[in-house]
Amino acid sequence: MKEAERKITRCYTCLECKLCKNMAKRKFESNDSVFQNIGKCSECDGDLIVTMIFGETIE
Amino acid sequence: MDFTNFDLDEFFGMGDESNPIMMLIWIIPIIIFVFYGQRIQLLISSNEIKKDISQLEKFKNNSRQKLIDYIKNNLEPKDNPVKKIDSFLEYFTVMPIDLDPNGIIPKINHLVHSREDFTRLQVKSMFNEISAFEISKVHNLLEIVTSLQLFHKVTRHLYLTAKKQKNFPLILPLQMMIPFIMEEANALKDAVESLKNGQPIGDGIGPMVVGEMMLNTSKQKAAFETVWSESKFEGRELLLVKAEGPNATVGRPGEAVENIIPQKKPDLIIMVDASLKLEGEDSATIAKGFGAAIGGIGTERFKIEEVATTNNIPILAIVIKQTIKEAITLMSEDIAKQAQSVRNQIYDMIKENSKSGQTVMVIGVGNTLGILQ
Repeated sequence: MKEAERKITRCYTCLECKLCKNMAKRKFESNDSVFQNIGKCSECDGDLIVTMIFGETIE
Repeated sequence: MDFTNFDLDEFFGMGDESNPIMMLIWIIPIIIFVFYGQRIQLLISSNEIKKDISQLEKFKNNSRQKLIDYIKNNLEPKDNPVKKIDSFLEYFTVMPIDLDPNGIIPKINHLVHSREDFTRLQVKSMFNEISAFEISKVHNLLEIVTSLQLFHKVTRHLYLTAKKQKNFPLILPLQMMIPFIMEEANALKDAVESLKNGQPIGDGIGPMVVGEMMLNTSKQKAAFETVWSESKFEGRELLLVKAEGPNATVGRPGEAVENIIPQKKPDLIIMVDASLKLEGEDSATIAKGFGAAIGGIGTERFKIEEVATTNNIPILAIVIKQTIKEAITLMSEDIAKQAQSVRNQIYDMIKENSKSGQTVMVIGVGNTLGILQ
């Protein structure tokens, strides 16, 4: 198998609570956008914002 | 080593006592290489190129099929989109005549905008209802398939011409260029997935840096698919400009700058963009410099340079280095993590190069797919 075919890229979304600065990383979901307000923080009820969407390559 | 008793006849196998078969082993290859050397080289080189051409054809067909499947499965086209997509792939662009280069930029600008508007209309006409976000995604996917088709056609043309003419020198430029063509084709092929999923690409680092600075500000339209807003930083007024996210667009930053500068007269322009790294350089490194950091065909850069020169505004640039593949495929973690560092460096640049009470324009250049503001 060629080198490129052995690589799998997984996409992740990083979330941060604007209030308690709690950070979380989960798999990318359709319609996620950077700086999107995704809901409320489970810890403090603050706004949960997408800070990054990025790919990780696994060989 | 003693060369005094060296016998040339013996060496070439032509001496009285030498074997005629040994002589033939020397002579035949020499004759073959003298008369057919170029053809042998042509055969070897063309075999390698042939493999790459088949690969290019595969890339083109796969990306075309992925586009068709995406339209059929995720959007609701009026009719079967295959015919329309295939006809679109054959469109070409005739660049304006450059015999008299005076005033060629507005002509190129008009041509590029007309092509974009036409493509957008064509995409829109395929559906009863489609969002601007989906139009921008399909538009970008179409551009990828068209580019792959062009790579395949041009490479095949050069290869077949060299073979037809049995002309080895003709295949040399292609042999030199093919690794670069394949690198770009590979990147384009891989870009399809990110575009389909609406995920940010490496080129989006500029809009990502400025997008965060624009949060909680009132956004206004600056030009087509381009927004701007005002903010404050240590006594300075900031004018923030980026393409309108989360659409897959680079916007029209040149036009935006032309529209904003007469109203706001900034004292400094800072441009943030992704930049192609040189071999040996590390990805995701940050570099600062002077001048308009913006790629593309050159019309947007011309507009920014023109309006900055007329108004005597210095332009500073900050770029994030990456490969072509990183720039057009899903943003890597290393690049995404540099956004905050770039933002801090922009604030330092503002403090160092402007005084309190002055106005600074910050432009985030790049494709803003999957990045809001």
